[in-house]
Amino acid sequence: MAQPRISAYLPPDIDPTKAALAFGRRALPKLNEELQSPELLTQQRALMALCDLVHDPEKVYQAIALGFLDSLKTLLVHQDQTIRQKTTEVLSIMALHSTGRDGLIRSGVVSALTGLLDDPVDICRKNTHRIFDVVAKLPQGAGGVLQAGLIPPLVLKLKMELDEIQELILDTLSNCLRVEVSEALAAGAVTVLKEKLSHPSAAIRSKAAWVLLEISSHAEGKIAVCEEEVIPVLVGLLEDTQPEVQVNSAGALMFAIVTPQGRSSAMGAEAIPPLLTLVAEETSKARLNAIKTLTLLAELPEGRKRLLDHRDTFQRCLDDPSEAVQRAAEIAITVIDWKP
Amino acid sequence: PSTLQVKRQRRAQKQVQARKLTQEQIRSGTPEPVEGRQHVYVQTELYLEEISDRVIEVDGECQTDEFLDRPPTPLFIPAKTGKDMATQIEEGELFDFDIEVKPILEVLVGKTVEQALLEVMEEEELAQLWSHQRAFAELRNAEFAELQRLEEQDRRIREEKERRRLEHLEKLRKQKETAEKIAARAFAQRYLADLIPSVFNNLHDSGFFYDPVERDIETEFLPWLMSEVEETLQKNVLGRMMLDSLIRMVVEKRLDEFSHPPPSDQTETPAEEPRAADAAPQVSDGADAADQAVAEEEETDQPVAEE
Repeated sequence: MAQPRISAYLPPDIDPTKAALAFGRRALPKLNEELQSPELLTQQRALMALCDLVHDPEKVYQAIALGFLDSLKTLLVHQDQTIRQKTTEVLSIMALHSTGRDGLIRSGVVSALTGLLDDPVDICRKNTHRIFDVVAKLPQGAGGVLQAGLIPPLVLKLKMELDEIQELILDTLSNCLRVEVSEALAAGAVTVLKEKLSHPSAAIRSKAAWVLLEISSHAEGKIAVCEEEVIPVLVGLLEDTQPEVQVNSAGALMFAIVTPQGRSSAMGAEAIPPLLTLVAEETSKARLNAIKTLTLLAELPEGRKRLLDHRDTFQRCLDDPSEAVQRAAEIAITVIDWKP
Repeated sequence: PSTLQVKRQRRAQKQVQARKLTQEQIRSGTPEPVEGRQHVYVQTELYLEEISDRVIEVDGECQTDEFLDRPPTPLFIPAKTGKDMATQIEEGELFDFDIEVKPILEVLVGKTVEQALLEVMEEEELAQLWSHQRAFAELRNAEFAELQRLEEQDRRIREEKERRRLEHLEKLRKQKETAEKIAARAFAQRYLADLIPSVFNNLHDSGFFYDPVERDIETEFLPWLMSEVEETLQKNVLGRMMLDSLIRMVVEKRLDEFSHPPPSDQTETPAEEPRAADAAPQVSDGADAADQAVAEEEETDQPVAEE
């Protein structure tokens, strides 16, 4: 009779598309052998079973210790698209665990995945980019992605990929460019990103602004951003409807106008009024970035003159609950009041 | 039994017998049999056993076989047993659907909702983690931007300072150069102030500035004069010498004449006269007055000599 108690056991798993799992410790080695078998159906069924198993971190650890990654690497270049899709799915789930990430970086799966960037199947490419995105969140992962020379192809893909994949690429780029920026600049990333700043999708705009932020935190990035005249576009984005976009573009401006050319270009683009609106809003997330940007602009004489009138806006920021905003407001007031 | 065991058996038996003999000698063994009975050795077992301390050991091994993969369980369809019977159940006889379905539904819905809740919770947790990370990233970016701003400020101040310092150094250097130039010029002026007079003096002393007439007189006239004077004097001397020799000759001749008879006195004196006259015009070729005087003296001398 059926009972209302929820059973502790999982329901019986009789999915015909999955291979049967051996008992206990023998499960993964058997799957490994099945993955290397010449028969297509066996491989597919083994992959389906593996997909389910790999959600468990202990299984991930065991799989990597058994050397699954080598067999998976060979399967990445298989002709059958189901196999490729499932392999990339398995790898992307593995990458969500930290042991998986370590294993992926160490066994050089990242460089093996570069071949899949041009795969005709969308799902494969999406999973590939998902893997890059998650791997790049680690510092060693970002280093691995940089070493595999992935930045130029990624920048190229940014121009022509689907929107979802573009978001993943932008996330990957933002994590990698935090480390080193010269390759991306050589591949013309700033031009591509400038186009993306006017994309209809808000998520892409905010992520593109975030990538520009990371680029301009480096010195050569700042020079490139000033040369490509991105600053007026960013100033335009400050008045965007989405708060995310505002935050990120304010942040990108914050870094880009540290150089004197950036500052003069920002003054020329009339950056002060939108920034002041952002600061005046009590609940704006962009407050911190906007205050910092205005601090930078206040170091110019004409900026200081204009901001002296708005000093009380900064006074009001001192009551903000966030401590960082308070500090930034204090520093801003000090800079505005400074006399040579 | 092997030969070794047989040997051991025999040895053991011998030892036992030897021990028995000795023991029998030392102490009494079993008591004497009662009358009418006898002690007899009897073998109770079928086989002789060797009595020894060492236990016989034999090694044996046992191992399970390597695991074989169990083939997948084939679908078990039990064979049909028993007789087929049919029965008809009317509605409402067995159970009331609505009441009975409740627990099943509860389970179904409960599990679904639970799974859904779990997923939602996971998503929320993930979103929280991302937002936490974003907040941290923002703080970090803000601090980084502050750092870069201060760096930039510092760099500008340092550059400005460096430029000012260089300017100042340049200014000092120029000042020093100008002072040195002035000092050098003053010194040179002073040094060269009496250069010109001294130069002129030196030149004057070394005779570069001369009066041309005076020099001319000095260089040409006077030597010529001196040479002329010398010539005249020489002529004078020559004349005198000539005169002396004349006088001497005359005197010697007069002596000769006065010592000898004077036959040709008149013819010799006119010969002497042209000679003396020759000498006199030769002598008087000099343009000097002294010469003239000497010539006149000689002329006067001649007539004196003639007389």
